[in-house]
Amino acid sequence: MMDFYDSNLVLIQATCTGLILALSIQVPLRMGVFSFAGAGSYGIGAYLAAILVIEQEVSAFVAIGAAMLATAVIGLLLGLLIFKLNGLYLAMATVAFDLIIGVITINGGETTGGSTGLYGVITDFTMGQMFALTVIVLALVALSEVGRTGRRVDAVRDDPELALSMGISLRRYRLTAFVVSGALGGLAGAMNVLVRSAIGPLDIGFGLIVLGLTMIIVGGSRSWKGAVIGAIIFTWLPDILTAIGEWQELVYGIIVALAAVFLPRGIYGVLVDLNKWLRRRRRERRDPPPAVAAEQAGDIDPKPGDVREFALNEETVP
Amino acid sequence: MLEIKDLHVRYGKIEAVRGVSLDVTPGKVTLVLGANGAGKSSTLKAAAGLEPPVRGSVRLDGDDITRLAPHKVVRRGVVLVPEGRRVFSPLTVAENLRLGGYTAPKQAYDETLARVHEMFPILADRANGAAGLLSGGEQQMLAFGRALMSQPRVMLMDEPSMGLAPVVVDSILAKVREMADSGIGILMVEQNADAGLDVADHVVAIARGEVVFSGVAGDARSHASVLRAFLGEAALAGQ
Repeated sequence: MMDFYDSNLVLIQATCTGLILALSIQVPLRMGVFSFAGAGSYGIGAYLAAILVIEQEVSAFVAIGAAMLATAVIGLLLGLLIFKLNGLYLAMATVAFDLIIGVITINGGETTGGSTGLYGVITDFTMGQMFALTVIVLALVALSEVGRTGRRVDAVRDDPELALSMGISLRRYRLTAFVVSGALGGLAGAMNVLVRSAIGPLDIGFGLIVLGLTMIIVGGSRSWKGAVIGAIIFTWLPDILTAIGEWQELVYGIIVALAAVFLPRGIYGVLVDLNKWLRRRRRERRDPPPAVAAEQAGDIDPKPGDVREFALNEETVP
Repeated sequence: MLEIKDLHVRYGKIEAVRGVSLDVTPGKVTLVLGANGAGKSSTLKAAAGLEPPVRGSVRLDGDDITRLAPHKVVRRGVVLVPEGRRVFSPLTVAENLRLGGYTAPKQAYDETLARVHEMFPILADRANGAAGLLSGGEQQMLAFGRALMSQPRVMLMDEPSMGLAPVVVDSILAKVREMADSGIGILMVEQNADAGLDVADHVVAIARGEVVFSGVAGDARSHASVLRAFLGEAALAGQ
C-alpha cells in the first residue's frame, strides 16, 4: 500500500487538482452557465500562489487563501460583465478570458517568468492538507446537489424563465456560479503549483479546458461523483497508455469519442441505470408486479397507457 | 388592485403592445382575448416584470412595480403561470410545489400545501411521481398549484387551456373560477374565447396591440358577433 502511494504520488496529486478543476467547470454547467472560466482562474490561482510564495515567502494556506479570494472576485467581475450572455456566446467569452490569462502570463516579464514560467515554489504544503481541502470541497459541492439548493439549481438550469416567475433571482444564481467556479479554479491552480513547485504558460493553456470538460463529460456532468470518476480515469489513463507507446494519443482519443457517443450521461449515469435495473430485478423476483401476477393467473389486462409503475421507478436524471 | 395603464412593449422595431390599460380586481377573472400576435402574452410578461415596457405603468395597490425585477414582483404577490404547462419535468410533483413556495413565509407552508392539495387532490396522490409523467391536464393543475404555493394575490395566466382535450378544458377553467372565488385576482389570456367567457367577469379584447373592447363578460357575449368579426379581421391582417 505504501509502495503504491509513494510510486504514484504525482498521479494522486494530479487526481486531486484535476478533480477540482473539473468541478470548477461542472458547477456552473449544472447551474445552466456554460462557462470555462475555471481554467483561466486555475492559471491566475497558480501564478498568484507562486508569486506570493517566491516574493513574500507566505505559508501554503495564505497562498491558497489569497489565490481563491482573488479568483472569486475576478469571477464575480467577469460574471457581472458577461452573465447576460447565453450558451455558446457565453462559452466563447470565457474561452477568451482563459486565453487572455495565458497571454498575460507569457508577457508578464520577470513577475511571471515569461515563457519559462516560475520555479522554486517551495512550501510546507502536505498531502494530508491537500486531501483535506479536496474532501471539504467535495462535501460542499455534494451538499449543493441535494435539498433546497439542489432543487433551485435544477430549476434555474432547466427553465430559467419559469424559475424567474417563481421568484428565484436568476442573476444571483448565475453570479454565484461565476464566483464558485473562480474560487474552485483558483484552488486547483494554487494546490497544483504548491505540490509541483513550478508553473509555466504551457501548464495553463487550452488543454486545461479540454481536460476538465473531458473529465465531466465522460464521468458524468450532473453529479460530483461523475467528476470524481472522470478525474480518476483521465489522470491515470495516459499513464497506463504509455505502455502502448506511440499509439497512446489515438487510443485516448477513441475512448473519449466512444464515451461521448455511447454514454451521454457519462459513466456515472450508466452506474445509476445499472443500479436501478438490479434493484428492480431483485424486487420483481421477490414479489412480481400486479400485471405479471394477473398474466400468470390468466387474466391478461396490460394497460398500455398506464405509466404509473414506470413513474415510480424512473430516476429523475434528465 | 393591479392596474395596468397605457402599457407599451417593444421588441426591437416591432411594437407588440400599444397603450393597453386594464384592471384586475380581487376575486374576479379578467379575460384577455385576441388573435395570435395581438399582444396578449406580451402584456402578461410586462405585468410580471419579464418584459420591461418602454412606456406605461403597472401598479399594485397604488405601488409602482413597473420596473421591478421579476423575482421581486413574485414577492409582492403577483405570479405568472406561463404558457404551455411549464413544469420542471425531472422533479417530482412535491418538489415542484416546494419550488413554488420559494418566496412564501415558511410558517404558512404546510397550511398552503394542504389548501393546494384540497383544491387539486391529484397533486397529493401523485406527490412522488415525476412531474413530466403527468397528463396534460394534471400538469396544468400542477402549474396552478405551484403558483398558489407562493400565496399570490394576483395570478397571471397565459393560455391555461392550450393543447388540452375539450373535456379537460372545462375542468381546468372551473378551477380558475374556484381560485378567483377564493379571493385571488386573475388576469387570464385565453384563445378559447367561448370557454374563457364562461368563467370570466370582465373581458378585454386586444387587436394589434390595442384594446378594442372592454366590458363585462355578459356584454361581450352579446357582442360575440362583433368580437368574432374583429378576431377574424385581425387574423387576416396578421398574415
